[in-house]
Amino acid sequence: MRRLGKWVRQNRAGAWLLAALLSAVGALPARAQVQDYPRQRPDLDRLMQELFAEPQSDQVPYEDLYETLLQYLQTPLNLNTATREELTGLLLLSQPQITALLEHRERNGALLSLYELQSIDELDLRTIYRLAPFATVGEPSGNAVRGPLWQRIRQEDNNALFLRYERVLEERKGYTAPTLNSNGTASSRYLGSPDKLLVRFRTSHARDFSVGLAAEKDAGEQFAWSPSTRRYGFDYYSAHLGLFERGQLKAVIVGDYQLQFGQGLLLSSGLQVGKGAETITTLRRSNLGIRPYTSVLESSFFRGAAATVAPAPGWRLTGFASLKRVDATLRSALADSLEEETTDFASGLLLTGFHRTASELRNRRSLREGVVGGNVSFAPAGSQLSLGLTAVGTTFGQPLQRRPEPYNRYEFGGRQNLAVSAHYSYGWRNLSLFGETARSSSGGLGTVNGLLASLGSDVDAAVLYRHYARNFHTLYGNAFGENTRNINESGLYLGLKLRPVARWELSAYYDQFRFPWLRYQVSAPSRGYDWLVRVAFSPTKTSQLYAQVRTRQKAYDADDVRPMPEPVPTLRRSLLLFYDTNPTPILSLRTRLQGTHHRQHLGPRRTGYLLAQDVAVQPLRTLRLSARYALFDTDDYDTRQYAYEQDVLYAFSVPALAGRGTRVYALAEYKMGRHVTVWVRYASTTYRGQQTVGSGLEEIQGPQRSEVKAQLRLTL
Amino acid sequence: MCLPLLGAAQGNGPGVRGGRAAALGNASVTLADVWAVGNNAAGLGVLTRPEAAVYADNRFLIPEFGNAALAAALPLGKQPAGSTATAAPHGVVGVELQRFGGKLYNEQRAGVGYGYRLGLFSVGARADVLQVRIEGLGSRRAVALSLGGQAEVIPQKLTFGAYLYNLNQARLAEYQAERVPTVLKAGLSYRATPKVLLLVETEKDVEQAADFKAGLEYQVVEALALRAGVATLTEQMTGGLGLRFGRARLDYAAAWHNALGLSQHISVSLRLEPKTEAAP
Repeated sequence: MRRLGKWVRQNRAGAWLLAALLSAVGALPARAQVQDYPRQRPDLDRLMQELFAEPQSDQVPYEDLYETLLQYLQTPLNLNTATREELTGLLLLSQPQITALLEHRERNGALLSLYELQSIDELDLRTIYRLAPFATVGEPSGNAVRGPLWQRIRQEDNNALFLRYERVLEERKGYTAPTLNSNGTASSRYLGSPDKLLVRFRTSHARDFSVGLAAEKDAGEQFAWSPSTRRYGFDYYSAHLGLFERGQLKAVIVGDYQLQFGQGLLLSSGLQVGKGAETITTLRRSNLGIRPYTSVLESSFFRGAAATVAPAPGWRLTGFASLKRVDATLRSALADSLEEETTDFASGLLLTGFHRTASELRNRRSLREGVVGGNVSFAPAGSQLSLGLTAVGTTFGQPLQRRPEPYNRYEFGGRQNLAVSAHYSYGWRNLSLFGETARSSSGGLGTVNGLLASLGSDVDAAVLYRHYARNFHTLYGNAFGENTRNINESGLYLGLKLRPVARWELSAYYDQFRFPWLRYQVSAPSRGYDWLVRVAFSPTKTSQLYAQVRTRQKAYDADDVRPMPEPVPTLRRSLLLFYDTNPTPILSLRTRLQGTHHRQHLGPRRTGYLLAQDVAVQPLRTLRLSARYALFDTDDYDTRQYAYEQDVLYAFSVPALAGRGTRVYALAEYKMGRHVTVWVRYASTTYRGQQTVGSGLEEIQGPQRSEVKAQLRLTL
Repeated sequence: MCLPLLGAAQGNGPGVRGGRAAALGNASVTLADVWAVGNNAAGLGVLTRPEAAVYADNRFLIPEFGNAALAAALPLGKQPAGSTATAAPHGVVGVELQRFGGKLYNEQRAGVGYGYRLGLFSVGARADVLQVRIEGLGSRRAVALSLGGQAEVIPQKLTFGAYLYNLNQARLAEYQAERVPTVLKAGLSYRATPKVLLLVETEKDVEQAADFKAGLEYQVVEALALRAGVATLTEQMTGGLGLRFGRARLDYAAAWHNALGLSQHISVSLRLEPKTEAAP
């Protein structure tokens, strides 16, 4: 308590919280057992900006990460039962903070309230504010007291049915009548309507059960009942049933699931941030094991069953099997006159999940993929050591054979891949050491090893080394790296985070990487570096200001005509200034200025610019309105600008803005009673001096592209 | 050929001195030790005891890219017995001898530096006699003058340093007006906690792109320091450790260049016992 008093003297805001706590405890002596912190609306937008330095493309599945955070939001992490791995998985706490929290729990028993976090020295107020929306302090008692399972599922408040509709208002070329090509065939068109539909249901209780169902139809996809082409109404379905903490059976999921072990080299679920402005805590991946999947990303999940058992204290055994069909372009080998039959092979896996045209439909779920594997983990209680072994075997229905380009020389080919890995993590004093090393059946090795060090209360440093051989094949891995896949890369990363004075925070990283073999559009081995510096200043509890510079140099084949394609260093530097303030409790203002310059070796410097102003008001408790007006001006597509936009809950939007023009959106969220919430969103981009927007089947006649989105959430 | 040179040293430039600076990405303009004689003569000002040091490095494991240096520093003026003064009364003089290269190409230098500390400020100057020798082409000699300064912006916490190397723009050859590089360095060091020192620095050679360097030193215990650093222009990441045995220090650094590979640096320095009599 003395320590608490000292702490209070130092932090006035904390004193307010504490005063609120004490008065609440005084006022409600009967309910003082578990004091509920009034759950704040988390600033996901801000959090995403802190986790990602800068969106680099719209291909990266940010949605998946967003989804994970939202899952924590819906089913907050119980700080009284959370393990070290789970706390690490939140990405908001540093290793010393986690250790301090666990020690506090050990010493003083279960936390009584979130306010109690303030009495832990290592947890500063900013961290507590960030953590609060995703965490809770429940009772660590078992589930059996709450009645039988079906009753628990029925009575669970934490359920939600989402219905979402989305449509682009302008007519796109893909939805017009087909024209005739020069060879007399009709040109390709989208088969379905431009509406996008999503239905989703999920109910879950932390450490007890999870039930989920999702169905989706993308714009351009058809509603069709055609068992011969494996189409049953919606284009994509996902469902799962999961049970957790049944004695020795720790987790079992039937249906769609994700897996994450070690550093994610072989198995990695959605929560992978990579390089961002959060330079320390996002480096280490955690052993989260089996996790339910209800996302609408149509790849990167397993379909089948998985289970984890704990045969002895500290030991965990996980086994899983998955069988599904994935999208792939199937080809027939040229019929050789000496061979009796042609052999089919897949020339590439498709991850977009779009099945809008006849050719996309042909590739839809055309390749059978079977995956079996397991993991053994050993983490003795009370120690910070964790060791494990993982094996993943994959079999495809047809052999995979990529196009015979030089850059594909060492890519995975054939029908089968077996990868095995060993992972470790160890914490000692202010250090946390972790890593994973794997070998695939091609003989290629991959390894990732890191060290996080808290050099002082205000200084954290990290170093991470990775090497993924050019012939290392991991099909579901997503460990730290510059490439989106863990192949053909080695690199060294240094990260630093510093709080020199109260309210100020500086984070920086420098990453240096090499690609020992060719890559797509890079016709020679190449190298590069990437660094970021962000200075953040929080003048008050409700406002934040930050400036960020990121510079990345990588080699790409020169644009100009050369006798041989030749990679030249290409530099991209981005600047971001961001100011966020809540002048009154109902009003929030956000200004964002960002710019990029892009230069290919000695070529001309091209620039991009974006200025955006956001306003959000909450005139009523039940109504929230937000809007943005943004101007952008970029020299070309290479300097395009990405900026996070607020969206309906569970959706995510980072449009790419290139050219000159304006972007606006407006979003309304209205809570109609206890069970129903409605979102409506309108967004529009208007280009200057352009006759058409988009290309190919997405082309729109006219300078504008706008879309509407509506979502309904029902709590049953 | 130009790439290795770029990575190695800026041919006759201020270069790298000491295993500590090398481990910190050569962000050395604010450091104050015996190797300040080469890094920023102003840093000599804080020495209160005579010190001698030897340094050797090898770039990219190429034998011809070896570098060796000898340095010594001598505080001037009489320190009263048992004094805890943080500076010598009449400043510190330093000398340095350095050789880079192999038989076909080599550089030699002899330098004399002087640093003086006044309160929170230090100033320094240095003169170099440089000789460049290329087999079959003979040798050239030039004199380069340098100036430096350091200031404690926040005492014990934040230090600023700047160093101008070769302000007289010494000429090596008439052909294409080949000159010794003129280099300006400026940087900050920040003592985040008593055990952590952070450094940032920018270095600009008139004829090269700007380099940005950063370093971190962590004093694990009294006898051991761990270091890491980066330099953006040469795309190098560095790491190293420093050991202290009584009056002797040993500093080792390894640097990894993205294309050229490993360089190694080592230095040993010895602080002499305090003398009761004034040195000449």
